[in-house]
Amino acid sequence: MDEPPVPGGTAAGPGVRPPFDTSVANQARIYDYLLGGTNNYAADRAAVDAVLKVAPELGFSARANRAFLGRVIRHLAQEAGIRQFLDIGTGIPTAGNIHEVAQGIAPESRVVYVDYDPIVLAHARALLNSHVAGATEYIDADLRDTGTILSQAARLLDFTTPVAVTLLMILHVIPDSDDPYAIVATVMDALPPGSYLAVSHLGSELLGQESRQGFDDIVRRQAQQPYIGRSQEQIARFFEGMSLVDPGVVRVEEWRPDPGADATGRSALWCALARKR
Amino acid sequence: MSTMGPGGEQPFSGLEDSSVDAAVLRMLLGSQLRRLREAAGITPEGAGYEIRASRSKISRLENGRVKLKSRDMTDLLTLYGVTDESVRSSFLALVKQSNAPDWWMEYSDILPDWFEPYLGLESAAATIRSFEVQYVHGLFQTEDYARAVTRLRRKTAPAAEIERRVALRLRRQGLLSRPDPPRIWSVMDEAVLRRQVGGPVVMRAQFERLIEVAELQHVSLQVVPFARGCHAGESGSFTVLRFKERDLPDVVYLEQLTGASYLEQRSDVEHYLEAVDELSSEALTPAETSSFIEQIYWET
Repeated sequence: MDEPPVPGGTAAGPGVRPPFDTSVANQARIYDYLLGGTNNYAADRAAVDAVLKVAPELGFSARANRAFLGRVIRHLAQEAGIRQFLDIGTGIPTAGNIHEVAQGIAPESRVVYVDYDPIVLAHARALLNSHVAGATEYIDADLRDTGTILSQAARLLDFTTPVAVTLLMILHVIPDSDDPYAIVATVMDALPPGSYLAVSHLGSELLGQESRQGFDDIVRRQAQQPYIGRSQEQIARFFEGMSLVDPGVVRVEEWRPDPGADATGRSALWCALARKR
Repeated sequence: MSTMGPGGEQPFSGLEDSSVDAAVLRMLLGSQLRRLREAAGITPEGAGYEIRASRSKISRLENGRVKLKSRDMTDLLTLYGVTDESVRSSFLALVKQSNAPDWWMEYSDILPDWFEPYLGLESAAATIRSFEVQYVHGLFQTEDYARAVTRLRRKTAPAAEIERRVALRLRRQGLLSRPDPPRIWSVMDEAVLRRQVGGPVVMRAQFERLIEVAELQHVSLQVVPFARGCHAGESGSFTVLRFKERDLPDVVYLEQLTGASYLEQRSDVEHYLEAVDELSSEALTPAETSSFIEQIYWET
């Protein structure tokens, strides 16, 4: 209740904020539908149903990404002792959100979520109310607007102690013309050594030629945001100057899998976790 | 839930658990009946003929809006080709359980028949999302506010009837404090806060109540301020109910002066979901909403 009412909300940062539009497929709602959620619309379902016909591995990919999120946060909270998390590109909340995993291990964990999608923010803020923890906050900003993200995140996070940054399935929305490498570097530069960066990203070589063509077609015609696949090598570049945590850049389901994990598919997503030196 | 063929699979295992709300059970039984009927290739008219009922009675049964008689269930199962005795007896046991008396039956004298199904849906819901343009949501009204609203609507009603209506509304609010409460996410237009129902004293107490419920873990309140201009809620007030059982479709409840509509077609429901999503993203955040209500409290 410490925030004064701000009719008009926070100022929009640079970048193109997706308007509230249910007539085209939207990344957050696509992911929600792929995970079996119910916060999606006909256009999202149509796009996903079409994509799954040409690239069926994307259904497994979404679930495997969600499972990776759980494992990487558990690793960070349990093994690396991280207590501060900055998640950019949060998506519509579903079971096993970062603050639930992290605060389940260490209740004092602080989590800042960032998203620019009005539907995500509405759901996230309403749901945030349902947790007692005061140490979770949502920021309305575009990943490209690192100034807003860092200045607002600093209200809850202490940038003199390590922070884990999670950029899951979001960098592939940023075209090369917006320099995703510089964006990631700006965020990590603001954080002290011992901080972590986790990324998951559509792999350009992980979809077959035909799947990829069909997928690109559907995205171009039916989706609000682009999906730009990048290679394993290009993903590794996000971590330049950092120490990759074993096993390095691998497919999401291969990253420190839990015993008995769902091994029924192969995802089309690269991922890695690295520690800032 | 897997589709249940006449092959002998038990109907929804696990639901014998008596904690399942009778209203949810009616809806689940109804949706199973619809599936069985469709699998058997029988029209609603055909099913109605079998149990001496109309097409619309079948539709109400399949939507879980009315109670099922054991005899009708027996006849329908036979018609749909469900012959396995153990399956039939599970169905009949569930019918019995789904006919447990609802708490609101003691108010049947003042309960319009179009509102009664809403009480079942509301108590069965896992998520209640609403948009209010006129009055504070019934689940959040103080006793005095509820009395003032009831008097406005029923100017000639005797005092005793008014009190029974207020009592019913307060009884409904038991939902907020029950062990496994639904998530209630309510968006209201600023007009709801500005409209003086029952005068400033009543309104100030109502504002305190709103700020109090907004603190509840399972409640989120948002206000769309006048300053935001036009918004997606031009249709007026509505409520969208979602159930834990994924088999059950979302239901939109729309109330009119002399009746109510219950929308279940996905294509209809989606318009309301879209409106409520858009309203939620246009509205003040829950944190801003509490400060906003506080501000209006001081102006009242």
